[in-house]
Amino acid sequence: MFKRLIEESTEKSPWLFHINAGSCNGCDIELVSILTPRYDAERLGFKLAGSPRHADIVVVTGPVTKQSLPRVLRTIAQVPEPRCIVTMGSCPQSGNVFRGSYSIAGPLSKYVPVDVDVAGCAPKPEAIIDGLALAAKMLREKRGQKK
Amino acid sequence: MDFPFIKEAVSQLFGKSSCAMYPAVPSEAAEGYRGRIVYHPERCIACGMCERVCSGNAITRSVEHLEDGQDKITLTFNLGSCTFCASCADFCAKQAIEFTRDYHMIATSEEDLLVRGSFIKAAPKKKAPGPAKQADCQAQSGAGVKPRDDGKPVSDPSRCVYCTICARKCPVQALTVDRAAKTWMLDEEKCIACGTCAQACPKNCIIL
Amino acid sequence: MTVVIDALMYLGYVLIFPGFLFCFLAGMLLCGIDRKLVAKMQKRVGPPVLQPFYDFFKLCGKETIVPDAAEGICFMFAPLLGLAALVVIQLFIPVFGFTAISGMADIVVILYLLLIPAVSIILGGAASGSPYAGVGLSREMVTIISCELPLVLVLLAVAKTVGDAMGTGLCFSLRGIAEYQAANGSLICRISMLPAAAAMLLIIPGETGNHPFDAAEAETEICEGLLAEYSGAPLAVFKLSHAVKMLTLTSLFAALFLGGLGTGMVVLDALLLFVICAVLTALTISFVHAVTARLKIEQIFKYYWTVVTLLAAVSLVLAWYGL
Repeated sequence: MFKRLIEESTEKSPWLFHINAGSCNGCDIELVSILTPRYDAERLGFKLAGSPRHADIVVVTGPVTKQSLPRVLRTIAQVPEPRCIVTMGSCPQSGNVFRGSYSIAGPLSKYVPVDVDVAGCAPKPEAIIDGLALAAKMLREKRGQKK
Repeated sequence: MDFPFIKEAVSQLFGKSSCAMYPAVPSEAAEGYRGRIVYHPERCIACGMCERVCSGNAITRSVEHLEDGQDKITLTFNLGSCTFCASCADFCAKQAIEFTRDYHMIATSEEDLLVRGSFIKAAPKKKAPGPAKQADCQAQSGAGVKPRDDGKPVSDPSRCVYCTICARKCPVQALTVDRAAKTWMLDEEKCIACGTCAQACPKNCIIL
Repeated sequence: MTVVIDALMYLGYVLIFPGFLFCFLAGMLLCGIDRKLVAKMQKRVGPPVLQPFYDFFKLCGKETIVPDAAEGICFMFAPLLGLAALVVIQLFIPVFGFTAISGMADIVVILYLLLIPAVSIILGGAASGSPYAGVGLSREMVTIISCELPLVLVLLAVAKTVGDAMGTGLCFSLRGIAEYQAANGSLICRISMLPAAAAMLLIIPGETGNHPFDAAEAETEICEGLLAEYSGAPLAVFKLSHAVKMLTLTSLFAALFLGGLGTGMVVLDALLLFVICAVLTALTISFVHAVTARLKIEQIFKYYWTVVTLLAAVSLVLAWYGL
């Protein structure tokens, strides 16, 4: 019963940690907008955590520049299991308009397994909520597989 | 100390929230929203304009040669690399690319974000490079348009799609093509009769 | 036989009614109500009231990472120390007529015990070896010092008022205070106690480290400060301690100023106490959270040692003249 309670709770309380890996700030603003009164993701249990140690879902925005890559990997490594990695916008998936630049190390999926991609440039807040809800479901599955 | 929001907080405590309740209440994107791409291969002429104007390198064109001499042309739109600027749709002469209002682009694998379409293009008649091509063009063009004797280009309006490629390729900007008004104009002063436009034309409608 | 029954009763006190289980349920519910109300005041829908429970169980199910730089044992046991201290305080605080443990000077004991959760979080943060925790640690200490002076003055004012009436000089027994209020009506009805009650209301958010006074745990600024390195179950216990602290302080307010409302039945009294705690939480924590922005640490210090201390001191002077 306790195990089911934990699994249930894992889906209902996903905390986010947001990493800006050289983003143009468009996606960052859209991510914050899901916490505003208009979209209020807190009613689904989402919360922006201040420290990666508290987070369940890591949201990466930006094309993963060479400067930010080691920091991104270190931050992701600090997130306790079970965790989900969500890329937001086109940049971390492919580099988008920055593709081929001398300073880009992306895409992110070259370095860590990415669970959910939210496409869009920047994605609509509704799409972000959908993507995060999918990530929360995956968290629950991962938690179930662990034990 | 000053608390400007006391009144607001108290009134909101009993008021209605301004929340959109998204997953429970479905929401539709506004008019003109540029979401998931829909590609109509039946309209496409494979001119390659979209590929050229794409800032995110999201469009790739692959050609597969079939046995009967025809080409199977596949265009792949990678939404994971798209900026949704709609330049490709704007530049498409045949309106083969459409941006829908579907914003729901969630993927768990890269394949989910690819939009593909392919069509079979009838093979052009055997052509040789250089002068032979010109001759070929003249043969195709029929009696409607006659080549000029000074080596400067003439366009066959019956086949031109006003894709503007020739104007872009022209090294001296001698060509003016207006896609909306469907006009093709040559500045004879500027033209150096190099033949670049004829080579670039996807429809082989420029005659030298 | 009686020894066994007594032991069982005490065990019941510690584990169930004013102790752990009650603290857990009531504290978490208060926390949920607080989050819901803040959301309401901000024109949002807000999380379900049970959200703190979800958070707690989720954190229990997460991996616990002990950083290399951390002092393992101290890091893991600091949260339990803080929670235990809070549960013990709850045993001392009377639920109107009912008290689990009472003594001659339990107010003084509570004063000491109230420090322990803060000390435990400082211990844990210091043991985690994170620079963010270092910044949070110094801020947390300043916050405790700021709150402590007005809190002592408030408690002294109450002790003086009750002690004068009972002819014992200063009455430091919460049971004594509860009995006095049961006989003579709530203390908040006395003019001399009004400033003290106001001061106590202002102390509650500072002591719990809630919004305008949360410089020590500023998540946008220093990555939640002392909690920066915590994850999994220890973090869950810290979150629980924070929730229980809200219950402890609001029920302390109820015991000091709103005594004598009890009905005599323990279950009803507990419910009434919870309702009072919820109202106080809404007033002092949620409302203040919704209308203010985070203060700087020196502003917190200045605020508590001027405005709040002055209120408490006025009350003490009035009590001295027997008003």
